[in-house]
Amino acid sequence: MEMDQKQAVLRLPAEKLYANELEALRAADQDAKPAGWQLSPRSVLTFLTGGQVGGTTISPKYIGNKRLVEMAIATLLTDRALLLIGEPGTAKSWLSENLTAAIHGDSSKVVQGTAGTSEEHVRYSWNYALLLAQGPSDQALIRSPILRAMESGGIARFEEISRCASEVQDALISILSEKTIAIPELGREVAAQRGFSIIATANTRDRGVNEMSAALKRRFNIIVLPAPSSLETEIDIVRRRVGEIAASYELNAAQPDEEAIRKVVTIFRELRSGVTLDGKEKVKPPSGVISTAEAISLLTGSMALAGSFGNGELTDEDIAAGLQGAIVKDDAKDQLVWKEYLDNVMKKRGATWRSLYSACSEMNG
Amino acid sequence: MSGAARGPHYWGIRHLSPAGAYHLLSLLNEVKPTAVLIEGPSDAGHLASQLVARGVVPPVAMLAYTEQLPVRTLLYPFADYSPEYQALLWAKQNGSHAAFIDLPTDVSLALNELRRMPITSVGESEEDADAVPAETVGFGAIQQQLYARIAELSGEPDYEAYWERCYEHLLQPAAYQQAIVHFSTELRDLTEEAELRMAPQEVAYNEIREAYMRRRIHDTIESGHQADQIVVISGAHHTPALNLQLPLMTDAEMKRLPRVPTRMTLMPYSYYKLSSHSGYGAGNIAPAYYELLWQSMKRDELNKLPALYLSAVAQQLREQGTWRSTASVIEGVRLADALASMHGGTMPTWRDLRDAATVLFGHGDFGVVAEALARIDIGTAIGSLPEGVSQTPVQDDLNRQLKRLKLEKYKSLVSADLELDLRENRRVKSEDAAYLDLNRSVFLHRLLTLGIRFARKSPVRQNDATWAEHWVLQWSPEAEIETVESTLKGETIELAAAYVIHEELLACADIASAAKLIRKSCDCGLPQVMGQATHALQQLAVDAGNFEQIAMTVHELSVLLQYGSIRRIDTESLVPLLQQLFLRGTLLLLEASGCNDDAAAGMVSAIHAMSTAAQEHYQEVDEQLWNAKLKELAERDDRNAKLSGYAFSILLERHEAGEEECAQEVSRRLSPGIPADIGAGWFEGLALRNRYGLLSRPYLWRELDAYIGSLDEEPFKRSLVFLRRAFGSFEPREKAAIAELLGDLWGAGADKVGEALQRPLNEEEKVQLKELNDFDFGDL
Repeated sequence: MEMDQKQAVLRLPAEKLYANELEALRAADQDAKPAGWQLSPRSVLTFLTGGQVGGTTISPKYIGNKRLVEMAIATLLTDRALLLIGEPGTAKSWLSENLTAAIHGDSSKVVQGTAGTSEEHVRYSWNYALLLAQGPSDQALIRSPILRAMESGGIARFEEISRCASEVQDALISILSEKTIAIPELGREVAAQRGFSIIATANTRDRGVNEMSAALKRRFNIIVLPAPSSLETEIDIVRRRVGEIAASYELNAAQPDEEAIRKVVTIFRELRSGVTLDGKEKVKPPSGVISTAEAISLLTGSMALAGSFGNGELTDEDIAAGLQGAIVKDDAKDQLVWKEYLDNVMKKRGATWRSLYSACSEMNG
Repeated sequence: MSGAARGPHYWGIRHLSPAGAYHLLSLLNEVKPTAVLIEGPSDAGHLASQLVARGVVPPVAMLAYTEQLPVRTLLYPFADYSPEYQALLWAKQNGSHAAFIDLPTDVSLALNELRRMPITSVGESEEDADAVPAETVGFGAIQQQLYARIAELSGEPDYEAYWERCYEHLLQPAAYQQAIVHFSTELRDLTEEAELRMAPQEVAYNEIREAYMRRRIHDTIESGHQADQIVVISGAHHTPALNLQLPLMTDAEMKRLPRVPTRMTLMPYSYYKLSSHSGYGAGNIAPAYYELLWQSMKRDELNKLPALYLSAVAQQLREQGTWRSTASVIEGVRLADALASMHGGTMPTWRDLRDAATVLFGHGDFGVVAEALARIDIGTAIGSLPEGVSQTPVQDDLNRQLKRLKLEKYKSLVSADLELDLRENRRVKSEDAAYLDLNRSVFLHRLLTLGIRFARKSPVRQNDATWAEHWVLQWSPEAEIETVESTLKGETIELAAAYVIHEELLACADIASAAKLIRKSCDCGLPQVMGQATHALQQLAVDAGNFEQIAMTVHELSVLLQYGSIRRIDTESLVPLLQQLFLRGTLLLLEASGCNDDAAAGMVSAIHAMSTAAQEHYQEVDEQLWNAKLKELAERDDRNAKLSGYAFSILLERHEAGEEECAQEVSRRLSPGIPADIGAGWFEGLALRNRYGLLSRPYLWRELDAYIGSLDEEPFKRSLVFLRRAFGSFEPREKAAIAELLGDLWGAGADKVGEALQRPLNEEEKVQLKELNDFDFGDL
């Protein structure tokens, strides 16, 4: 019964998805666990960067700079709040979710930062029916994820913090420095249990939308997540994630072969950096975001196309359709950028690229 | 080991390791040896005592160099925390015998040559022999792989971090020694086979060194030191091989060692240099950090190091204008501690501290803290040697001159500007003081000649101030090495500079470079060499027939004659030479002007140089003849049109041609029959000089206007190319003035044209311009 439920859920949280890995790590864990932690820091690191524990293989969740993960864990060890910054699609939320899952075992205490996020989402609000009926009481109190994390000594996640209005952001300041939330209506204060912390993420593209105040920044340890450093790393990331997503969404298509992934990642890296991989030719970057996450969703999207409308084999036409959508966003200029790239770079790449080139050119019109 | 009690105490180190120095000192204090033997060149014995003389401030280095050119050098740098340096200090304080026991430098430099040669054994074919050097590179790669693997296994980000965590932070003496012996033995075992296969020269070289060192240890025991009263300090890699059970080098073998004559000296070194590379190939990346580590270790306050380091970085950031709070320093220390504890370390490594600084001070961005970190990690420290400590004569002379010329404060790693006024300072009494800046200039020019990178000359910004010079001074260990190398050229800076110019003079084959050498020797205040150079120029001038070279030479001589007096050098002897060359140049002008457009560019500057000289030295040279020749060039139709135009513009400027002549010439040159490229080319030459002169002569523009109006479609297109080029170098203001002039001519009125020019383009015009951009010049 429970098994069935699990499979029906569209997207499992990390602690459920990797429950067996976490269990294996917990069983084998010999090192001391900090207060409120489910695993020792070293095991958390293994969970995120992969390895072998007993008979269980731990799949790497964050591929790339291991040192950054170490720094993130060390930050949480010093019960400082952690802020992950990066271009869109650099696995900020992914890292945040998995860190929380490994340390706290519950990654569901999330505040999603939007323009509509209010201070109540950060602190607490009321069930007004009860409030009117009984007056202020514990039952009428609706706790924010952050308040719940404080009470249980866990980790709350704050996604896209820089999209909130600054007064909402500032509500965090007292929480992070005093580690308490006062509830004057009930005449009491909730003090954070040991183990409480916040992992926030922010997007460098949103810089300037709601610039974080210096006071708030000072309360976070900030780690910048880079785009994957090398072609091979990025291919590895894309392949793993495409495989995982394809399995959970039951896409009726074959996995894209290594060659197709390599081509897509090559195109993305070149458009992102504005120069061809060999460094010989300049390329105009498009206006939109060209992240690893986009490459992953492009490929899974193409797989869905192939599975639903094709014969299940990923063709160049499917990839071309995905590329068109990913690269040419609403801006008309992107179409020119993409055309220029096709004619100046891709066309000259020889026979192996020919059919993808033709498919893309046709699609781009 | 019972044998160890009777044998010498061996102490394996990593060069430039504070922990190595720390533990070594406690060993020395415990054993109280009568002799301290150190891996280092055994012919540097006399320098060993000077290295630890009063007033020596590390980092310093011993430098060995060959007596003959090309100079090859060997460097042995020491920081305060070098175990070798601390051992020398200890020996001095405790009255023990200290000696270096490695191969003398004359042998190692000779062997270095052999090591670089590819090995050919009997019977091997050529291709095999070629493959060997490539494989030597391969061994380096294997070592790197091994280091990378060690780092990976230990879970550290890099090998340096592994080393620091496991050895530099280990303060228990027994554990330290055990660990290092174990580690280096294992490492040697792991690489021995591969090294023998891939880099046999290195193995052979190390064999020779180790046999030699064993022999030296043996000799020390023979000379009366108790074996267990000797401490032998060597790189940990060599320690297992210094066992006296292994064969010693025999006298016969010693005789057969190849040698090249060498000399040695001491020189101040810098942390910057130590960080980039060192003689051992195993430098420090962060010497200033290691210094901090060493100081904390000595004070027994290693636990304060993280706070000390991060505060220093925050301080540095504040000085640069980036405010970082004490609270962030505290959080930084906590983060670094957490990182260390994740690796099972007792305290943060340099890498942990840097990463903490990036997160807390840089807010995740390394770029913010990069400069501050570089300052704290590497620093600008530079060693110093007191007077009287062994140096080469040129080094001594250099220091003497620096003192005499009050330039000592510029001997720093931070570059500093120096403005010189070469004129006599009449407000001071002594002659030395009056000409201080001139003497400085002479001295700096000499250094420039010697290729000592201490001073860099900036171009003078104000053209007329010939008495002003602008220098940028910055000291570096490279400059010290270059100074030492100059020893072979002469005993003093002056002699060495004279030698260099003299050598250049012997190799000099054309008059232009001879003239440059005259100028150079004048700048360097070397009248005697200048005489030689003048003589050389005279001889070369007999055959000189290249107009451009002659013009450049005339220019150099002219500059010298004008400004020689400010350098207090007699230049009268140059006058006849100038006259002779100027005359020759004048006579060659017409012939040389029959050239194509490519060569014309060089000719333009040559003609300019000659004209300037003619004006400056009108008393000495035959200006009349030059003007006559220019006139002829201006009138001739069979010379390069651009040069004719240029010549005409000079005449115009000198009022040698009046309005009437000018109008006539313009209309003649630009008459309808003349091919467009020649006509427009002439105008291009005319427009190269004195634009205001052109703009103030409306008749000129009238003629040009008429000319363009007269052209047919095809010739018009051709002339367009040339005219466009001619006007391409005009400034916008000048172009506007031309447009106004033409507007006047066409009766539109200057004001109206000016207004029209300022008005922004409308859409229609933009489209028209865009179409023009696509205009195909291919057929022109």
